[in-house]
Amino acid sequence: MALLELDDLSIEYRTAAGAARAVDGVSITIDEGEYLGLVGESGCGKSTIAKAILGILPPNGAVTKGQIRYRGRDLTRLSLAELNRVRWRQIALVPQSAMNGFDPVYTIEQQINEAIETHMKWSAAEKQSRIAELFRLVGMEQSRLKDYPHQFSGGMRQRAMIAMAMVLDPNLVVADEPTTGLDVIVQDQILHRIKEIHIRLKKAMLLITHDMAVVAENCDRIAVMYAGRIVEYGAHDVFERPFHPYTMGLCNAFPDLADEGRELISIPKAPPSLLDLPTGCRFAERCPFATDLCRKLEPALVSVGDGHVAACHHVARAAEFRDSARHVRTWQAGPATA
Amino acid sequence: MHGLRAYLLRRLILLLFVVVSVLTILFVLFKLLPGNPLSVFIDSNYSDEMVQRQKRLWGLDDPLWLQYVRYMWNMLTFDFGTSFFQMTPVSGIVIEKLLHTGAMIVPAVVLSVVLGALLGSWLGWRRGSRQEGAVVVGLLALRSVPSFFVGILVLMVFSYQLGWFPPGGMVSIGGHQESFWETILTLDFLGHLILPCLVLMTREITSPALLLRSTMLEVKGSDFLDILRAKGLSERRIRVHATRNALLPLVTDIAVMMGFLFQGQVLLEIIFAWPGVGRELVSALNDLDYPVAQACFFVMALIILVFNFIADVLYGFIDPRVAYD
Amino acid sequence: MAEAEILTASGARKKSGAIAAIARVLGVIGRYPTGAIGLTLILLFAVIAVIGPAVAPFGPFEATQNELGRVARLLPPSGSNLLGTTTQGIDVFSQLLWGTRVALIVGVISAIGSVILGTLIGLVSGYFGGWVDEVLMRVTDVAFGIPFLPFALVVISIAGPSLPLVILLVTLFLWRTTSRVIRAQVLTLKTRPFIWAARAAGASEFGILFIHIAPNVLPLSFLYMAIGVQGGVMLEAALSFLGFGDPNVISWGGMLNHAFRAGAMRTAWWWVVPPGLALSLFVISVFMVTRAYEELLNPRLREM
Repeated sequence: MALLELDDLSIEYRTAAGAARAVDGVSITIDEGEYLGLVGESGCGKSTIAKAILGILPPNGAVTKGQIRYRGRDLTRLSLAELNRVRWRQIALVPQSAMNGFDPVYTIEQQINEAIETHMKWSAAEKQSRIAELFRLVGMEQSRLKDYPHQFSGGMRQRAMIAMAMVLDPNLVVADEPTTGLDVIVQDQILHRIKEIHIRLKKAMLLITHDMAVVAENCDRIAVMYAGRIVEYGAHDVFERPFHPYTMGLCNAFPDLADEGRELISIPKAPPSLLDLPTGCRFAERCPFATDLCRKLEPALVSVGDGHVAACHHVARAAEFRDSARHVRTWQAGPATA
Repeated sequence: MHGLRAYLLRRLILLLFVVVSVLTILFVLFKLLPGNPLSVFIDSNYSDEMVQRQKRLWGLDDPLWLQYVRYMWNMLTFDFGTSFFQMTPVSGIVIEKLLHTGAMIVPAVVLSVVLGALLGSWLGWRRGSRQEGAVVVGLLALRSVPSFFVGILVLMVFSYQLGWFPPGGMVSIGGHQESFWETILTLDFLGHLILPCLVLMTREITSPALLLRSTMLEVKGSDFLDILRAKGLSERRIRVHATRNALLPLVTDIAVMMGFLFQGQVLLEIIFAWPGVGRELVSALNDLDYPVAQACFFVMALIILVFNFIADVLYGFIDPRVAYD
Repeated sequence: MAEAEILTASGARKKSGAIAAIARVLGVIGRYPTGAIGLTLILLFAVIAVIGPAVAPFGPFEATQNELGRVARLLPPSGSNLLGTTTQGIDVFSQLLWGTRVALIVGVISAIGSVILGTLIGLVSGYFGGWVDEVLMRVTDVAFGIPFLPFALVVISIAGPSLPLVILLVTLFLWRTTSRVIRAQVLTLKTRPFIWAARAAGASEFGILFIHIAPNVLPLSFLYMAIGVQGGVMLEAALSFLGFGDPNVISWGGMLNHAFRAGAMRTAWWWVVPPGLALSLFVISVFMVTRAYEELLNPRLREM
């Protein structure tokens, strides 16, 4: 059964230059105990989704359409008091910036305790043993509890953040680029920790990242997002047999997914401005396979396999694209000219 | 906390170094510059013998180093000698005058900080609005207006023209009670306090207001506030976090403000005939009462230094992030 | 942003372009409404300081006499005495004009002096570091430990009041902030790639300091000079008001001192208000210019 359903979700930011639709008609579901990866370049709207789920969009951002249903209840319609009961108790967050995620003037212990006290009526001993349990889980020393956030290294702070996220045993953990700013080895440690927790505790996870390799390694299902829309969505098929040229591009950009000896290719150019979206496919401008049709008509998600959808007009030519997308010159040549 | 102790020690040594330096400068000024303090006492009719006796009496016959050591010892033990004119121990005079100055400054600082902080958090909230811009520019301009002219104007209007407030002084003639503390609890004292206090506030309110506004803006943009919301905390709890963070720099500001005001209110004390330490310095200098002048100057300098020291240390205590290095 | 770039560029330009650069900066400041008003007022004060004494109807200490040959004491404002007279029959309007000159002399000279001193100390301290920095910064700490007004009062009462002494004291007071700010700026500049490049190219230490670093702190020095003019004028007024100014010249503060002692707050508003207003107006106009200049240096201020 679906734990969390995003149903035709649209989110807009009011800016000086007009409304920017950061998320446009996104529908994804996360089942109980499932590990879903949400991938895309920065600015594609993936972090906005994380914020919307927890109801912490900045003041100029708002859900303009659709629903965020947690166990059937639309979170966007809850009162603040009702929402506060769901927050952290049911859905916890491991933020992008663990660096600044803790209040600098309280100790780690105080902040974890605060999370508990907001939702539970536990005794001091219960709180203490729960925190001790979690610190063991994330591999941290008990002695660090009384320390202030600035006394921790980036990796330690992120572990503490994970411990705080798990403290109330939530059903869903949203991890928004949890390894930003950490060095590679620590990144691996953190991701393994999350994976381990997922397997051991059977918690549903939503991992948001720009790193296709991370998703491939960790997640059960993958949603690829581009310029506010889901362009491909499915299980491991998504990076094993991608149908959307953007997914193919993303796979090229990370060593683990590329065949040995093949060069890493990054997709040239930047995504379109959210204030000024093209009429056709949003990726057409950067796509080496784009045709006139792509520039005129926006493709809808079509089924390309068992539980696997992609939003491309030319899914039939996917095999041909996959071959061609392995070569640097394909991408360097730029979009196909009509 | 080892770092903290080392830091405190270093700050303390620096404090002592600066105090000794300031005292040395003061010593040099009084010894080496023309205008021998004894000229006040030594009449041109005095015989050489009498001059010598006077000099001996004041220890001016001793070698310079001995005078310096004696002077340092006296100053650092707050033994300021006897006033040339009032013939009472200088330390007693200085303590009394400091209390008077404090009686004007402390209420002004407390009110300025409370009102300034409220104004500042409002400004931080209304950020970007037209009113906010106007108030900020107004505050900045207010900070640059010479407050002694404001004092003169206020006195002219509210005291001399309208007669609402007494024209200066700390109490009416005969208004002194048994002790200082009883005196400042009288309504008469309050009446005398209002005008100088208000004038002081027009200037002092600007700093906490502008400070709190900018720290509020900074805190409002912090990521940790999002996490607090995500944790399901009530708005009230979140505000506690935000305020605690925003108030940190204000504590330092208060200490610096207090220290500064003990010497910065000289002009207002003159204008409002307030019998404080600044006015005492001016009249001691006019009377060539050097022991009193020296002592006034020394305690003013010391107070600034001590409050700055307190500010540094306090900041370390309340903000765990401050690294003591 | 573009304006900030103009500024840094102007700082880095060679000496020949310095005047043009200053003119351009002033032009940019003038585009801010506050900056324009401030500049206009300062210009007005400067003109008064230069030509004021020449056009003043009376001397700074000259007693006005009435038709009977008696001293015309405490006359209210009239056609012949635009701002009335003092208890000694001195024309307030003339004193105000003379006083402007004194205020600006003290403000400008001490501001220039303190900025040169402060910039040099900040540059050397920040660039060379080590014991040089240690010594200079401890001296700065001592300077910060000295309460200005009491110190100036003590020195003046020992050495006797005079305008040069006032200027010296104000200079000694103002340099310390400049040196700390410049030092901090030098510390960040020191780590920038263009300094490494210059060093790699074989530039000497002093060459790097004065050719590569100094031009980049000049915009900040100018800001502190402007703030210094404001501080200098205020401090001179404060000292004179307390009766520690040069008795041979008249300044705004001195006028207020005479008026205050003569009890003019009760009797002659025309004697009290003009010098105080002139002082406030001058200080605020410098504030408006520095504010515009600061915004220009730090575009972030505009959003703050």
